[in-house]
Amino acid sequence: MLKLDAVGRQFGSLWATRDVSFTVKPREIVGIIGPNGAGKSTLFNLVSGAVVPTTGVIRFLDQTIDYGKPYQVARRGLARTFQIPKPFKQLTVRENVMLSALRRHHTPRQASAVATTTMEFIGIGELAEASVASLTVGQLKKLELARALATEPVLLLLDEVMAGLTPPEIREMMTVIGSLPKRGVTVVWVEHVMMAIMNVAERIVVMHQGQIIAQGTPAEVSKNPAVIGAYLGEKYAYAAR
Amino acid sequence: MVAGRIPAAQGIQAISFSAAPRRGAVSIIEIAVLASCIVAAIVVSNRYAVDIMIRTFLWAGLALAWNIAGGYAGLISFGHAAFFGIGAYTSTILLLNYGVPPWFGMLAGALIAGCAGALLTKVCARLRGPFFILSTLAAGEVVRIAALNWRTLTGGSEGLEIAPVPSVVDMVFKSQWPYVTIMVAYMLAMFALSVWIEQTRYGYYLFATRDDEDGASAIGINPSHTRTAAMAVSAATTAIGGTLFAQYFLYLDPTHVISPDISFQFALICAVGGLGTASGPVFGALIIVPLSELLRGLLSQSISGLHLVIYGIIVIIVILYFPSGVSGAIGRAASRLFPTAGFTTRVQARKL
Repeated sequence: MLKLDAVGRQFGSLWATRDVSFTVKPREIVGIIGPNGAGKSTLFNLVSGAVVPTTGVIRFLDQTIDYGKPYQVARRGLARTFQIPKPFKQLTVRENVMLSALRRHHTPRQASAVATTTMEFIGIGELAEASVASLTVGQLKKLELARALATEPVLLLLDEVMAGLTPPEIREMMTVIGSLPKRGVTVVWVEHVMMAIMNVAERIVVMHQGQIIAQGTPAEVSKNPAVIGAYLGEKYAYAAR
Repeated sequence: MVAGRIPAAQGIQAISFSAAPRRGAVSIIEIAVLASCIVAAIVVSNRYAVDIMIRTFLWAGLALAWNIAGGYAGLISFGHAAFFGIGAYTSTILLLNYGVPPWFGMLAGALIAGCAGALLTKVCARLRGPFFILSTLAAGEVVRIAALNWRTLTGGSEGLEIAPVPSVVDMVFKSQWPYVTIMVAYMLAMFALSVWIEQTRYGYYLFATRDDEDGASAIGINPSHTRTAAMAVSAATTAIGGTLFAQYFLYLDPTHVISPDISFQFALICAVGGLGTASGPVFGALIIVPLSELLRGLLSQSISGLHLVIYGIIVIIVILYFPSGVSGAIGRAASRLFPTAGFTTRVQARKL
């Protein structure tokens, strides 16, 4: 599905990500964790085609991606959410979601039907006609996810979708994300809310200072001394036991 | 849903109607305003009044053309006078030098202006906000200075004159009614084009690119192509207005036709009427053009410049108190009067 081979990106003299290699299999949920500045968001920008890598190769569906052309990568079935939501501010919630469906469903009428289904699935159905300006942070995050899903992707990159959500909203979102592989969607997910990602992801990649320091099941990485030292802390290690 | 099963019904379903101005629909208010424009064009016979009407309808069409780039795509351009000038000069030069009727000449002008608009957007692809605006202003000035200095083609500062010999082929008329008819047709065509864009897939791509470029790319929209196409359509339709201007006034010179004032006027009409809406530029032109003409007629005799002061104050008041323009204000008023009628009151326009 997705294969990164020694991917690195240099900004000035700083390597935001360096020598990152990992593979994502179809219908898998892969979590990426690590402290702030570990290079997680840069990694997403690389995979989605927004940033051109300095070194390495990124292959998506057995083809090298079009570096620097995120719209081409998106058309091949990759969708992403943004850490800071990027809604179309002058449109309604429905129009925002509908826009994502317009590439596959050519008329606004058909795309609107897809938008309705997607909004119901995410749980923002009742907000359909609301203006984006009136939404709370949690609702914006859900809208972000709905917009990504309405493109009907095969690979979904989630960038901190849980940040700013209340505990009940987090549980709701965990159910939604957990059900995605059954719908044929592979997920790569960056998250700081450990309760969510450790319970839903099947495999965790840990990044620190631009590099991968550990990979494995949630149970494995949470016991890894390097991960505890760099990110999770002693307290989490006890809790995980 | 029924329309989906009966193909014949889809044509009717394609146009939706609403009470107050709404994106992608034709409202009762808009129909009423446009219909009264047509009635006025037929009924009014006073020469001065008809002259104001001709200018108003022409400017409404031009503002609608500007709005495709400035309102829908968020490409605020202060260089549209260049496209206006390209349209006016192309058809006039073709008419004077080669005897090509302006009916065809305006298509040539539209083609050249469309290419120029596309080129400008491609060249300035990386510029955003004020930087893009400044580059359009500069492009407009380049065209003006080129026209001033290329005397063999444009006649330089002496300008070009079209012989006032009435001829349908040459689009020169003795009476005013053919001009009113042409200008109303131009305005209606531009209005129809705007409403059509609003409800197509491409229109939504424009809104998305305007509101958030990264977000648009992430769902598979090519922002560069979308913007370029919007500017090309806007430039081409502005050029058609340029030809109509030349055929009505029968005189062209670079200082007046390719001046930044013209570009500012396009933007101002849209800002007052409601940026990014189909009805906004029409409302804006119906207010601004007669107002400036009347103020000039009434006040320019008494204290010189007073009409400009009053005009400026009125424009400032409208922009301050109606940030979404007259169109947005009408939508809000309608929703307040009839809260159950389901009017859409989204603020679609922004301050310039």
